[in-house]
Amino acid sequence: MEAPALPEWLQRRDEERRQQVERRQQEKREQAVAEEQSDFFQSAFQAERAAIEQLLAPPGGAPAALEEAALRLQQLQKFLSDSVRFLPPYDLRQAQEALQRLQAALGDGRERLRPKKKFAFTCRKKEASAPAEPSAPRAPAALPPPPAAESGISGLECETLVKGADEVQGRDVLLSHLRNCTVKLLGSPSTLHVRHVRDSRVLCGPVATSVLVDECAGCVFAFPCQQLRTHRTRDTKVYLQVTSRAILEDCSGVQFAPFSWSYEGLDRDFEISGLDRSKNNWSHVDDFNWLVRDVKSPNWSIIPEKDRITHWD
Amino acid sequence: MGLLAILKKMKQKEREVRILMLGLDNAGKTTILKKFNGEDVDTISPTLGFNIKTLEHRGFKLNFWDVGGQKSLRSYWRNYFESTDGLIWVVDSADRLRLQDCRQELASLLVEERLAGATLLVFANKQDLPGALTKDTIREALELDNIKTHHWCIQGCSAITGENLLLGIDWLLDDISSRIFTAD
Repeated sequence: MEAPALPEWLQRRDEERRQQVERRQQEKREQAVAEEQSDFFQSAFQAERAAIEQLLAPPGGAPAALEEAALRLQQLQKFLSDSVRFLPPYDLRQAQEALQRLQAALGDGRERLRPKKKFAFTCRKKEASAPAEPSAPRAPAALPPPPAAESGISGLECETLVKGADEVQGRDVLLSHLRNCTVKLLGSPSTLHVRHVRDSRVLCGPVATSVLVDECAGCVFAFPCQQLRTHRTRDTKVYLQVTSRAILEDCSGVQFAPFSWSYEGLDRDFEISGLDRSKNNWSHVDDFNWLVRDVKSPNWSIIPEKDRITHWD
Repeated sequence: MGLLAILKKMKQKEREVRILMLGLDNAGKTTILKKFNGEDVDTISPTLGFNIKTLEHRGFKLNFWDVGGQKSLRSYWRNYFESTDGLIWVVDSADRLRLQDCRQELASLLVEERLAGATLLVFANKQDLPGALTKDTIREALELDNIKTHHWCIQGCSAITGENLLLGIDWLLDDISSRIFTAD
């Protein structure tokens, strides 16, 4: 009697099974990319971390080194987020903690430099004109010159200016770097920006959308608008008609009263602007630095009636 | 609860998408949200805090989180990152003075780990204004072409007229659903 041979089909199947296993293992080996191994990540991450620590270490920490550290830290953060997919949770947590420590160290470094940077406005200009260092932030993308839709007044002192509807109507108007000036805009602009204006008076017709005030002091403003956003401004009086809401951020000593200035053609400009003349929330002011609901913000107040301007000319 | 009810509920949950709207103050985030929802946009005030709105669109349930963009609120943005599927970055195309601020704020968001999986839609808003920059200029100014970590798209739009809002949201949904709901 012959030993019972395995049926041929069974042998064939066994053979196929083996090949299949072999093939799978092969595939697996091919798929495992070196860069996606935890070890590779660890060594690359640690090396970069040490390098950034070096940059942050020197006592003083030159600004250039700090900038480079910030840049490399950002890249390291990205490297980590790209690797999240294959990292074990423990490694991930460790890496995140390391990044946080670096970020804190970077923050400290910047903090140390701050006193020197106090006059940021002139400083930054110098930096930009200095020969670019390899790590210096890229120059801001050049913008096309403002189109005719924008009009503005800038860099004046002790002057009185009146602009008619033809220069204001439907445009974005920018007033900046004025001192001891009086500006009257007889028309309805689309938006009004007021920046770095000191001890001046700005009177404007109905603004169809927002008025943005930034870094002003000692001024008197009067305008109707849809929204008023006031930033970094102090000791300024605003005669306001606002159909939605006025807000403050980083301001102090800002005072409000209802809009009372008038000029010939104001009625027509109100119509052009589309503002609802019957709506005025001049006394509802939100202060983003004062989020306590039932106590009024100390940063703004209402001008007592007896102190309000009644005769503008 | 019957089995069918449970299945239905699970299915509904699957089609839920969380969308985070961020951008500098006065970019028009709330206006976009209200316009998209068909509400009145004339009375919007600067957002003190945040708005949440849930909308049904194309069989999806969209949870919009619209967080105020004032400087003092930006440090709170991080509180809203968790499980975001889509990020909408709104830009005031007429505000050329703060375009660099805008670029920096966006760049700092894109390295956030918790936003790593989110699709990015940039709305170049206020295209109805005569002084608005084109979407290509904005794209260059924000250096969008350097973004390799996220799927992104820029869309010129106007929240006041409603132009292109739907186009942008639809692209966002297509991209998110191709990532998440591939099972369907």
